[in-house]
Amino acid sequence: MTKELLGILLTAILTENFVLAKFLGICPFLGVSKKLNTAVGMSAAVIFVMALATAVTYPINLLLVKKDLAYLQTIVFILVIAALVQLVEIILKKYIPALYSALGIYLPLITTNCAVLGVVLLNVQKDYHFAQSMFNSVGAGVGFMLAMIMFAGVRERMESCDVPKFMRGLPITLVAASLVSVSFLGFTGIVDGIFG
Amino acid sequence: MKKMNPKDILIPTLALFLICLIATVLLALTNRATAEKIADNDVQNAIVSRKDVLPEVDGVKVETYTDDAVEPETGLTYNEGKDTDGNTVGYIFTNSAKGYGGDVKIMVGYDLNGTIVGFKVLSASDETPGLGQNSTKEDFWQRFTGKCGELKVNKYSNDGQNLQAITSATITSTAVVTAVNEANQAFTALTGVQLPDALTGGDSNG
Amino acid sequence: MAEKKSLFKEFSKGIVIENPVLRLVLGTCPTLATTTSVESAVGMGLAASIVLICSNVVISALRKVIPSKVRIPAYIVVIASFVTIVQMLVKAFTPDLDKQLGVYLPLIVVNCIILGRAEAFAGKNPVLASAVDGLGMGVGFTAALFLMSTVREVLGAGSFYGAEIPGLSAHPMLVFILPPGGFFVFGILMATVNRIAESRGKPRAELRGCEACPMATVCKLHNDGRTEPLTAPASEPLHKAKADTAAKRRAEANTETLTEPVTEAVTEPVNKEVRPS
Repeated sequence: MTKELLGILLTAILTENFVLAKFLGICPFLGVSKKLNTAVGMSAAVIFVMALATAVTYPINLLLVKKDLAYLQTIVFILVIAALVQLVEIILKKYIPALYSALGIYLPLITTNCAVLGVVLLNVQKDYHFAQSMFNSVGAGVGFMLAMIMFAGVRERMESCDVPKFMRGLPITLVAASLVSVSFLGFTGIVDGIFG
Repeated sequence: MKKMNPKDILIPTLALFLICLIATVLLALTNRATAEKIADNDVQNAIVSRKDVLPEVDGVKVETYTDDAVEPETGLTYNEGKDTDGNTVGYIFTNSAKGYGGDVKIMVGYDLNGTIVGFKVLSASDETPGLGQNSTKEDFWQRFTGKCGELKVNKYSNDGQNLQAITSATITSTAVVTAVNEANQAFTALTGVQLPDALTGGDSNG
Repeated sequence: MAEKKSLFKEFSKGIVIENPVLRLVLGTCPTLATTTSVESAVGMGLAASIVLICSNVVISALRKVIPSKVRIPAYIVVIASFVTIVQMLVKAFTPDLDKQLGVYLPLIVVNCIILGRAEAFAGKNPVLASAVDGLGMGVGFTAALFLMSTVREVLGAGSFYGAEIPGLSAHPMLVFILPPGGFFVFGILMATVNRIAESRGKPRAELRGCEACPMATVCKLHNDGRTEPLTAPASEPLHKAKADTAAKRRAEANTETLTEPVTEAVTEPVNKEVRPS
């Protein structure tokens, strides 16, 4: 049981990394990864919202399935996530201002972040029960953070590189992302190696 | 905090509510129109798959298939294939195992001795495109026909009880073979026919 | 006559000059994820185009009815409905495509192209123009996906639309259909497009993360000037119009908030002094 959950967690972080293997959340990955501190703030907010969204949508989904309304999943999930983000923002601002000033500014960006809706939909698709869903979501969030931090480091180094003119800007950023992604291919099979 | 005009809250709320309502009604209608077709697709797919993995046994065409049943000991789903006279001529087992990204679902057709007559990977959509997803191709499926007993993944050969893995997709291949071996056990549990163990010495001819 | 001409302009801009993927750098997630084979890329392109056209038409028709305060949630509801409808139709009539696209099909909801067009165009233009805009953008999106998937499938799998190419299929360069290949091909494609654009005196396409992001108007990170400017400021011609509207919206944005009916009453007076001190 614990073994299985840890397996799900590690798979979500390493082998099935949301950004580098599943291509979810590419916009913030390319857009907010220029500086390390924004990268960390953004991904911390993503982990938080992913976990919360999963915890909230899980019972809602049970209800939808029970009432034969499974076809409303997409629309309900996205609205719940939007409302949730808004609610969290208000609560944080009122009661934990310190946390709000660290994470709050990233929250609205996350509503349309495909990684959050993606993880919720994947949990449903894979028929995960509650604990599995939570581990998968947290793993996806941590994986997102790992990719963001690594890539922020790569980009900082790239600032001082002499890049051929036609590759400057976005193209070299994408090629760099490609190489970071190659490094994650190295994790292939590692989870089964540990838990198999 | 400044006072809000109740109208400023009411009108947007109402508008949003109306939009949600209309959207839900539209979705319900579409669902009604398509639900039957989607369910029917699944049934049709299942029938087609059964025909694919157990078309005939020893030259006898399989005419009818029983509905899904569950083998009590292993919990696997199975169907019986019957000839025109209603005699059982083969079995189909459905199973899944964890592959690289998610579950890989397979279907195996056996004759009465437990030799694999037909094999199919039903879904491997979470596997890597171009690698693990090659398990859904027919030339991989054909490696299973004629095998009998516990299989072992092998990178180079497909002789006897070795099953040649898909190039660079050992994890998916292993998952598929694990699922087949579990189906073998379920076959034994259901029919009482003992199947050979994995190749250890040279005495097993599969 | 003049109207016809401008309609054609609305249509054609989405294909080349303002190609959503290659020039505006929107919808990168599906571009990278579904281009492992031409078949799934074209499927994704068509599905997204249908959603885009339908949502553009409906949002444009409702643009005077939807209160601007709740426009983003309203747009999301409209888009999500069409996505679900398309999803059900795909499941019913092309189940194979449904299997190939998997979770990326419902994820069209959060494709920035669609919300972006709703916010930038359909929300303030007549129905016909919005439909044509959606069609053009959809064709541009599909074309970009087709281009990229062709490169990836031919090199990575040695086939085209599932048909094996003799000579290539024996030893394909697998890495092209693996995730790193996606980033790589996209990078090279962007470099090529930028090169062509530059040789014609057009600006290079850059990731304008925030400027193009449909959430820019409600995003405090952006409104507070907290993000590093990813590109030169708004003077660039490619994004001139967009930047203008963004600036206008930004002025209102501080009194607006993204909400959903349930939280409506609670959240109303919030964003007045959002600036974290």
